[in-house]
Formats: sequence, C-alpha cells, structure tokens
Amino acid sequence: MGINVEVFCSPGCSQCGHAKEIIKRIADDIGGDQIHLRDVNVLEEMDYAVALGVLATPAIAVEGKLIITALPSEKKLRKILEERLSES
Amino acid sequence: MILKISSPQDIDTAKYYRIGDVIRLLGLSADTLRYYEKIGLLPPVNRTPSGIRIYNKQDLSRLRFIKRAQKMRFTLAEIGMLMNMRTNPQHARDEVRQLTANKLAEVELNLAEIQVLRDELRLLLNLCRGSEDGCPIIETIDEDITPAKS
Repeated sequence: MGINVEVFCSPGCSQCGHAKEIIKRIADDIGGDQIHLRDVNVLEEMDYAVALGVLATPAIAVEGKLIITALPSEKKLRKILEERLSES
Repeated sequence: MILKISSPQDIDTAKYYRIGDVIRLLGLSADTLRYYEKIGLLPPVNRTPSGIRIYNKQDLSRLRFIKRAQKMRFTLAEIGMLMNMRTNPQHARDEVRQLTANKLAEVELNLAEIQVLRDELRLLLNLCRGSEDGCPIIETIDEDITPAKS
C-alpha cells in the first residue's frame, strides 16, 4: 500500500534540494513506508516530465499526476499527501 | 483605383492588391504567384486594361491557405484538391473529402507534436532561469557535442 510520490528536479536547481528535504521529512513522519519516493531528473526523463506537464523545477507528482509546480510549503504538502493516503 | 499597401494593417482597408503588394504581404515571389495561377491553384486573377494583375481579398485568402498547406508539406496536387473543397465543400467528391479528412488528421498529429515541443522548450528555458550554477541545457549540449577525451 502507500502512494507513489515523484520529485522532479534538475541540475543546478536552487530549490530542489529543499523540496526533497521537505518530502523526506513528511515521509519519515508518516512512516510505515507509506510514501514511495522517487527522484526524477528532468534532463534524463524529459519526455515523462513534459507528458506530466512539468514546466519548471521543483515539481511534485503523486500517482503520476502533477500536483505541485513550485517549492511547496511543508504544511500544504503534508495536507495533500495525508489526504491522498487516506483515499488510497 | 488601386490602393498602395505598405503594411499588414492596411489589409482591412484595401480591396485590391498589385503583385508587389502581395509579394510584400505574403513573402511569395512574383514567379510563384504566376505559377500558382498557371497551374490553377489560383483562379485567373483580374487584370487592369493594361494587363497588370490585380489581386482581391479572396485571392489573398487562397494564397495564405496555400502557404499554410505548403508549410505542412502538402503537395501542390493535394493543395489543388483542397482548394476545390474550399471553394465548394458541399459538392466535393468523395475522394476530396477523404483527402481533407486525412489532412486534418495529419495536422492534428503535427499540432500535438508541436505542443509537446513547445512544452519541452518552455521547461528547458525555465531550467536555465532557475539554475544557480549556470544553464543545465547548455551543459548538457556541451556534453553531447564535446568528444570524449582519450
């Protein structure tokens, strides 16, 4: 069980590291291996990123759908992920 | 009276166009314009008593259609058939209708590909803007074109 979360990053992206830290922290807090994180380098997976509608980094997708297209606030992202988990 | 056209904004106020005006407005050569007329892509263009070609708005509309179709790499023969459809869609032959449907499918496919390309270019540009350590696009291109050191 759990949900798949993808973080779209790119080399030299100033805010991507911060976005990854936030998600990792949320995933650790929720625990139980419920959030399956994957880092996506948009330069390596350009077709996939464009198909999802990624137009800048960082961006975050849940279950293959783009949900956030900027640096998220931890509170907002936590709320979204908890909602998705409750639906899954 | 013939109006002299100097810019595309003048199009709405002009009714007739000399060949030079059409060349300027559409970027087609005089030879091309005469050739289209010769092969029937354009109906015979009106002329002044002294024989000067005078194009009207419908002619310009047809020429724009031809230009667009050529950009899509349609052949002149195909464009000719589409022009017939454009002139009289209700009475088009089945073969012309089928060609039009096929060309529509081609255009839609191209459009989808162009949209993907646009999104990809937008993303690349945004990656350049958002980067602290230089532009990842340029670095990636450099990696691709720089021969590996032995």
